[in-house]
Amino acid sequence: MDWGKKLMAEPLVALRGIHKAFGGVHAVEDVSVYLHPGEVVALLGHNGAGKSTLMKMLAGAYPIDSGEIRIRGEKVQIRSPADSQALGIETIYQTLALADNLDAVANLFLGRELLTPWRTLDDLRMDAEARKVFARLNKNFKNVRVPVRRLSGGQRQTVAISRALYFNARILIMDEPCAALGPEETRMVGELIKQLKAEGVGIFLISHDMPDVFGLSDRLAVMKNGKLVGTYRTADVNEDEVLGMIILGKRPEGKAQFDRVGG
Amino acid sequence: MSGALQALRQSAIDWRLVLMGAVLVGIALVFNVLSGGIFLSPENLYNIAQQTAVVGIVATVVVLIIVARHIDLSVGSVMGFVGVLIAFLMYTGGWSWPAAALAGLAVAIAVSMYQGALTAVLGVPSFVVTLGGLMSFRGAAFLVADGKTQPVNDEFFQRLGGGYDGAIGVTASWVLAGLVCVAMAAATLLRRQRQQRFGVLSNPLWLDLGVLAVPVVIVLGFTAAMNGYQIPNKDAPQGIPIPVLIWAAVAITLSFIVHRTRFGRYVFAMGGNPDAAALVGIPVRRVTLMLFVLLGVLITIAAVVSIARLNAGTNSLGTGMELYVIAAAVIGGTALAGGSGSILGSVLGALIMQSLDSGMLLLDVSIGKRMVIIGQVLIAAVVFDVLYRRWTGERS
Repeated sequence: MDWGKKLMAEPLVALRGIHKAFGGVHAVEDVSVYLHPGEVVALLGHNGAGKSTLMKMLAGAYPIDSGEIRIRGEKVQIRSPADSQALGIETIYQTLALADNLDAVANLFLGRELLTPWRTLDDLRMDAEARKVFARLNKNFKNVRVPVRRLSGGQRQTVAISRALYFNARILIMDEPCAALGPEETRMVGELIKQLKAEGVGIFLISHDMPDVFGLSDRLAVMKNGKLVGTYRTADVNEDEVLGMIILGKRPEGKAQFDRVGG
Repeated sequence: MSGALQALRQSAIDWRLVLMGAVLVGIALVFNVLSGGIFLSPENLYNIAQQTAVVGIVATVVVLIIVARHIDLSVGSVMGFVGVLIAFLMYTGGWSWPAAALAGLAVAIAVSMYQGALTAVLGVPSFVVTLGGLMSFRGAAFLVADGKTQPVNDEFFQRLGGGYDGAIGVTASWVLAGLVCVAMAAATLLRRQRQQRFGVLSNPLWLDLGVLAVPVVIVLGFTAAMNGYQIPNKDAPQGIPIPVLIWAAVAITLSFIVHRTRFGRYVFAMGGNPDAAALVGIPVRRVTLMLFVLLGVLITIAAVVSIARLNAGTNSLGTGMELYVIAAAVIGGTALAGGSGSILGSVLGALIMQSLDSGMLLLDVSIGKRMVIIGQVLIAAVVFDVLYRRWTGERS
């Protein structure tokens, strides 16, 4: 990767001094993280470390208390999921955010349905478009008109990921994308991440799985108790050092932080 | 043959609705035998149809309320309040019926907005809000006219409630039935054309024709029955009663909203997974508020039909209706846990409730026994619902 060039470029996403409290509990405290085009940044930490909360603020699910969000250098206000989507941010939640009673097509377009000129749902166009996207990810996925509760874990994941593909995410947040998947499907998600990277999509990856983190991410940021422990190039640290940060909040000695590409 | 079975399994036929239809037919046949042929007589069918309309109209929208994981216990009281108000404005106030009905509509929407806002914006459970409403608006119904019955004398208005002059006659009934059948056939044809264009043709032709034949036969059969009923001192048969037409129009409109609009889809998404609905950017509060406004509109329509039918507005109008409405929705397959239900199901549910009630009345079953039985039928419907969902793997 051409680090020098990236250094010059404006980061795709800049989260600066973000704070969030629920009641008296500081869920996120003064966290700054940057993401560049074509880069995968892994977010690590225990449950409750604040990584999901941080990402939910970028996704528009929670408002930020203070701090600023810049997208491609421009300061933005994200007040709702729709605001976030309008900025090219797509989120794949750990829960997948699927309405179990609706079919795969309805779920793919949920909140952003295609309409006919008479402002009614254009079901057939949505059906045809959805089948194309699903086929890119999973050739065997045909039962797209049954409620998603009847689908397998992998198929449900396909629906959630398809949202990001169909709506041309430029920034992708993936919260534990492989938690519910078998080895074959995990491999598929890995391939997809590499493909999107090559297209210049920036990806925040929340994961507990060390092989995933080391296999897919360019940099990693570790959080503990709502605070950022440190941000490093994945290639510079080993698994023990990462675990030390996650569990003890201890920065590895003698390793330079890279909170942006190049430093 | 296995191809046919395969097609049936893949088609989007709601087998539960088919079962409900079979139950309704079974009930009708049993009562017909027990009553010596009176139950399926045109006169009785005419009465059942127009008696069911008020509950049926409100049940269509209560299905959506329940689908969205809310409930409304105040529908009977609000209908009573609005009904008395409209009758009061016409009788004591001397207003014309359209003016009075519009005033009633405004009040109904205000009431729904109030209860809807408490639920949608403040997050107070709709059960509590509407339980309070059940009491308050019954009281308001009393206050409007100080408890006095308000007669309704406008002849045109009275026809909206059915009864002696409240049907459209033989010719108009057949014309309307014919138009509906042609429209349904055209819709099927257009859908097949569009499906072909997008390459997603799902059902074989014989199956689509079969699915089309069912409502066509029902519409024609119903029209024949309504045209077969002649009040002895009149010189022509009745035809389709106006309240039934209003109910049908309401049911078709709501089905359209459910299947063809964003609003309908969002209601179901919110019921299926409220968190997901919010995360994908559905404006949950606004949709909830709109849903309650829709409820207010339909309660007004039901109130108009109801006072037109009784020729009066009384402060007890709609007492206990919430139970019949919710029962109709639940018997029609609406899950109280939210996320699933259908308008057509509520139509069948309302008809099943009314058929049981009327059938037992024909057989001289006492009021006490009828109440015991109807209450247990509601429970049986919920038990069936639980077992059915467990069996189909919808709930573990």
